[in-house]
Amino acid sequence: MKTPRVGIIGIGQSDYKPRRADANYPELVREAVKLALNDCKLGLDDMEAVVYSLAPDALLGIGNAERLGVDAVGARNKRFMRINTGGSTGISSLAAAHSHIAAGACDVALVAGADKVGECGDSQTILNKIWDTTYERPLPLGTITMLAMSAVRQMHKYGMTEEDMARIVVKNREHAALNPHAHLRERTSIEEVMNSRMISWPVKLFDCCPQSSGGCAMVLASEDYIRRNKLEAVWITGVAHSSESYFIGDRMGIGYTADHADAQALGEACHRAYRMAGVTDPVAQIDVAELYSPFSNTEYHAIEAAGLAKLGTSHKLLKDEGWFKLGGRVPVNPSGGVLCANPIAITAMVRVAEVALQVWGRAGGHQVKGARRGIASGNGGDHQFFGAMVVEA
Amino acid sequence: MPTRTQVGVIGSAVLAPRNPERASLEEAQHAATHAALRDAGLTIEDIDGIVVAGCDQLDGRAITIMMSSGSVGGVGRDIMSTPSSAEHAFVLGALRVRSGMYRTQLIMAWSPLEVDDVSATQRLGTDPYFHRPLPLDDLSSHALQANALEARVPGLREAAVAVTEKNRRQGSRAYPDYSPAPLQSKLIAGGRMLRWPITEGMVAPPAYALVALVIADGDFIAERKIADPAWVRGMGWATEPGFLGDRDLATLPSLRSATEQAYREAGIDLQRPQFDLAEVADATPYQELVALEGLGLCPRSQWVEASRRGDFAAGGRTPVNLSGGALSFNPVYCTGLMRIREAANQVRGCAGTHQQPKVRTAVAHGASGFAMQYNTVVVFGREPLEQVQ
Repeated sequence: MKTPRVGIIGIGQSDYKPRRADANYPELVREAVKLALNDCKLGLDDMEAVVYSLAPDALLGIGNAERLGVDAVGARNKRFMRINTGGSTGISSLAAAHSHIAAGACDVALVAGADKVGECGDSQTILNKIWDTTYERPLPLGTITMLAMSAVRQMHKYGMTEEDMARIVVKNREHAALNPHAHLRERTSIEEVMNSRMISWPVKLFDCCPQSSGGCAMVLASEDYIRRNKLEAVWITGVAHSSESYFIGDRMGIGYTADHADAQALGEACHRAYRMAGVTDPVAQIDVAELYSPFSNTEYHAIEAAGLAKLGTSHKLLKDEGWFKLGGRVPVNPSGGVLCANPIAITAMVRVAEVALQVWGRAGGHQVKGARRGIASGNGGDHQFFGAMVVEA
Repeated sequence: MPTRTQVGVIGSAVLAPRNPERASLEEAQHAATHAALRDAGLTIEDIDGIVVAGCDQLDGRAITIMMSSGSVGGVGRDIMSTPSSAEHAFVLGALRVRSGMYRTQLIMAWSPLEVDDVSATQRLGTDPYFHRPLPLDDLSSHALQANALEARVPGLREAAVAVTEKNRRQGSRAYPDYSPAPLQSKLIAGGRMLRWPITEGMVAPPAYALVALVIADGDFIAERKIADPAWVRGMGWATEPGFLGDRDLATLPSLRSATEQAYREAGIDLQRPQFDLAEVADATPYQELVALEGLGLCPRSQWVEASRRGDFAAGGRTPVNLSGGALSFNPVYCTGLMRIREAANQVRGCAGTHQQPKVRTAVAHGASGFAMQYNTVVVFGREPLEQVQ
């Protein structure tokens, strides 16, 4: 059976900030919902289902905090479920909403969430609790140390340098300066990144994403509904997920199942999404990419997993030819990406929202000229769950 | 309207480790996966996607579903997770198959008992400012609901005691290894009060279990010549608001909404639904009664009489919870998916010692959250919906 087309008709984003003392958690969700509904000129009563995007409960300090968000998203007596795949939750929630509509369960679905990462205390202490209680939690692993090990492997395997990592930061900050929603909007230089505080070698403070607060919501609809109501839309033409193993130790050493330098399952997810969308040559057919990269080094292997550069070559293509800058061959993270705003529960939704705005021609100051087709990705767990989505005008 | 992809349950398993300290949760997940696949006659290579549901707080892990990557065969596969409830995992799995993007799904939920204090864990689910100091756990919320119902329905306690007595009797037949012994009405009513009006006999203690189901689309089932699937004829799911103070706990409009969605899809008369049996939420006996009303099987004005007559007991008009329900075996987080599995297995004809003869249709209802916040309804049939229509 051919999967029916699903369109994106509304997008709402907060301005991401280190704290939002003016809004509690449900209010932050509501803020994004209101923006998304205004964007598509529909009301809460038009929403037939809600998929709630919320990553670890522990970041909010409330178990099953989605229960408190039910009224914020207008879901009372409606279809409602929460998705959590860690950092990829936002794109996974969109995939779940896509399934609602493609299955014919409803014509219109709202996907919404928010996070207050900057107000959680210490996110690394919380995120240490994602690991196995016996083997890996006591190391102690955090998401920074986990991906610093990936950076070391990238340096060894592909010759990536600390300056190459800094170049990603400089690029993304340049992009974020043009995006009013971004959290970190100040331009920087390679020297400034190199001189920033060492966090976990070779990852320095400026190589890391911030802890952001904010909300994001999107409205998805069936093609039939969009045509019937003469709505503007862009289309989800490819959607897929894939996963790696849980144990970091399975990705390094003798007999590893996937190389920690790369993002093997992200590659699988992108490949499946491309196949669904009919994309055979990503470099030629993809105009823009928003790839989930919370640390500078991970943007390189995300670019390669998305087929936008050959394995181990992306750092050279950025350095020598500026491929991934705005105005380059395939601009990557024109919004500034995760490096410039990371409200975890919705970060991967923002990637899709930004690609949708790009192919819609509504990205404002960071618009990629003439973008018609883009790819978005999300990473979750311990670099374990990966989602990819192709969006087209 | 285009032809809808039909979805059938083709395999399932429940695992209740007797010595959990000797097997990790991951090992139990692995065993449950294998058992469900064996029941379906498939291997993991046949599985296109996986939907799991676990509760971070009960598991003592942030993003608890991460550990299931390897143990449920998720590496290289598409894993999704619905921590809102185990029932939602079934709904999402079925939607994924119906979308035409997947042919098969493995669905799994688990409920370990590794936390020191389940009640304290549940209290973390309340908002930190208004409700957390109360203290409010699942049982307290269910007791508030029972109070609200008792205030509206004269003689309700008698019906609640009868439901408990029925389910414990049925549970001891269905799962003698898991379930407590039957209990006389007098002992149920007069037992130690846990949270008024819920007595010790009216609830089962939390248990450790995993439940897994395998579902597939109609073409896959035909190609593989899989006999006797339980076809999903209709699904509905809906939620109440999060704050108990915003609700009338004596009513459950979200269940009515979920029921309407499911029955409309299944072509069932909302006023006169008829099933060969039902498996419904019964963390307390009051929940079973309110579920029967929401499913259109018994208005509250008839709860007392119907319970006296045994309308919902084995051999009655519509047997309810022949498995014994959560009143007999209570893996806290999985009970909704357990109800779905039980109803599906009755339709498949593989329910075991409590199999009802000639089951052609069954309805399953799962509830999760404080005082049944989330409600999910699934209608199963021996034939797919298209053939019925």
